[in-house]
Amino acid sequence: MLLRPLLQQPRTLTLAASRSTATQLLQRSYHSAEYGTPGHSYSPTETAILSAALHHVPTTGFTKTSLTTGLRELGYPDITLNLFPRGEFDLVKFYLEKQRLNLGALVDFPKIQAEAGLGRLSMTQKIRTLCIERLKANEPVIHKLPEALGLMSLLENIPASVTELAELSDEIWALAGDTSVDTSWYTKRASLGAVYASTELFMTQDRSADFAETWKFLDRRLEDVQSLGKATANIGHYVGFTGNAVLNILRSKNVRLF
Amino acid sequence: MAARPLARAARAAPLRPFLPQSAVLPRFYSAPSKPSDPLSNSQQSAPSESDTTHFGFRTVKTSEKADKVHDVFSSVAASYDIMNDVMSAGIHRLWKDHFVRSLDPGRKPGGSPQQILDVAGGTGDIAFRMLDNAANLHHDLETSVICADINGDMLREGEKRAHAQGYLPSDRISFKVQDAETLDAIPDNSMDLYTISFGIRNVTRIDKALESAYRVLKPGGVFACLEFSKVSPAPLDALYQMYSFSIIPMMGQLVAGDRDSYQYLVESIKKFPSQDEFAQMVRNAGFLTAGRGYEELTFGVSSIWKGIKPLKK
Repeated sequence: MLLRPLLQQPRTLTLAASRSTATQLLQRSYHSAEYGTPGHSYSPTETAILSAALHHVPTTGFTKTSLTTGLRELGYPDITLNLFPRGEFDLVKFYLEKQRLNLGALVDFPKIQAEAGLGRLSMTQKIRTLCIERLKANEPVIHKLPEALGLMSLLENIPASVTELAELSDEIWALAGDTSVDTSWYTKRASLGAVYASTELFMTQDRSADFAETWKFLDRRLEDVQSLGKATANIGHYVGFTGNAVLNILRSKNVRLF
Repeated sequence: MAARPLARAARAAPLRPFLPQSAVLPRFYSAPSKPSDPLSNSQQSAPSESDTTHFGFRTVKTSEKADKVHDVFSSVAASYDIMNDVMSAGIHRLWKDHFVRSLDPGRKPGGSPQQILDVAGGTGDIAFRMLDNAANLHHDLETSVICADINGDMLREGEKRAHAQGYLPSDRISFKVQDAETLDAIPDNSMDLYTISFGIRNVTRIDKALESAYRVLKPGGVFACLEFSKVSPAPLDALYQMYSFSIIPMMGQLVAGDRDSYQYLVESIKKFPSQDEFAQMVRNAGFLTAGRGYEELTFGVSSIWKGIKPLKK
């Protein structure tokens, strides 16, 4: 019962949903000195080159060819490619960061609620909507996405890829209005990360119209997480109850406990 | 404490069976600085701070450092690569291969051939790798390298090798005696790539060398430096210091017959700024760097710094 008010969406977030992403991130309801400034991790020059290169991803994919084409468009010689020590993976990471930071501008919960004529959306509904919006943003490059996933799974890129997934998961929970400060902060983000990653993988193989199968897949994964959560809670209750009962039986036998 | 007798034994014991005593012992056990050394005079006259620089652990007049470095490399020119192999167990080849591979010079489809300046590249080992990279990976025989070095002896060694390995005669490679601080013969905004491999720590005024690099590079051109740096986990660093100060000079004595030059080598490595300090120097010269600005190789025994000259300053 006590959790209810915490789980409700703070007013600041609903108002900020339509504003620019940067201001929205600055209004997060927590502060961390280690978290770094909101925004992506590339300098203005790098951003310009990577943005230009990103236009070529639908045709030439997440490759050095796209990067080189971007460089030439801006008047750099080919050798400037050395600005990106991780090569193609820098393009992938930039793409992921850009999509993540753009997510807030895609979803407007008050508007969705008004259109559906329903009351307040549940947390799961919000999470689902945000996941779908983020996945839909992959549509223009979906045929090249397996390349990106391949690069992300290379040993040297795994730490950066996992970090990016965690940040996306955090972004989705923050936009959905989650303000929990207990251990569920971690489990929520971990389980959503797993759901998102598996759904994205499914999406690259999905040939159904408008990715209908992907959304069904997503629903099943979200259900799994919920039933898993319930099961964990039930087990916790059972262990707590039994433990208490055992202690009381021992006390009734005059065993001195704490 | 236990390490001391061990190190002493390592210095003295293995030598006796292998070497003619008359040839080695007098210099081997004497202090490295000779009484007639000009540095003892310069220390007595106590020159002002700005006129002096370090030459290994010794303080010398700024005007003398270039000559001293020249002497060091003239004396090691012929045995330079063998010595590097012996000291680094061949790892310096892997570093250089990685350095060139990561720079990936050569004409890309739809691009143009590149102009490369390899400073302090006397013996040509970086230059040949770059030409190979361009030819083998990009089928490019037009990209050309200028090997610049302050030391004519090293350049002669490189020219000899270029002929032996078939890079000369052609216009893909040329050799020029040049001071890295000024690069007089190289026009402004003319180079795609500037490399300096295990050379910048021997330059008297490093900031001047960086300025010249900035001057000769085209906008968007790349400055790349491979150099010894600081080893980072402390226990490994302790081992590395032991190795470099007790074993390297001894190997210099054994293999190249020249202890002083290799004593200078390890001292100059110790004196070179840390990874972050040098990355900041690169940025101060006007270059853009990616991330923290360097990549460590083999626990930081050496590092690669890269900087990009921006289109507009």
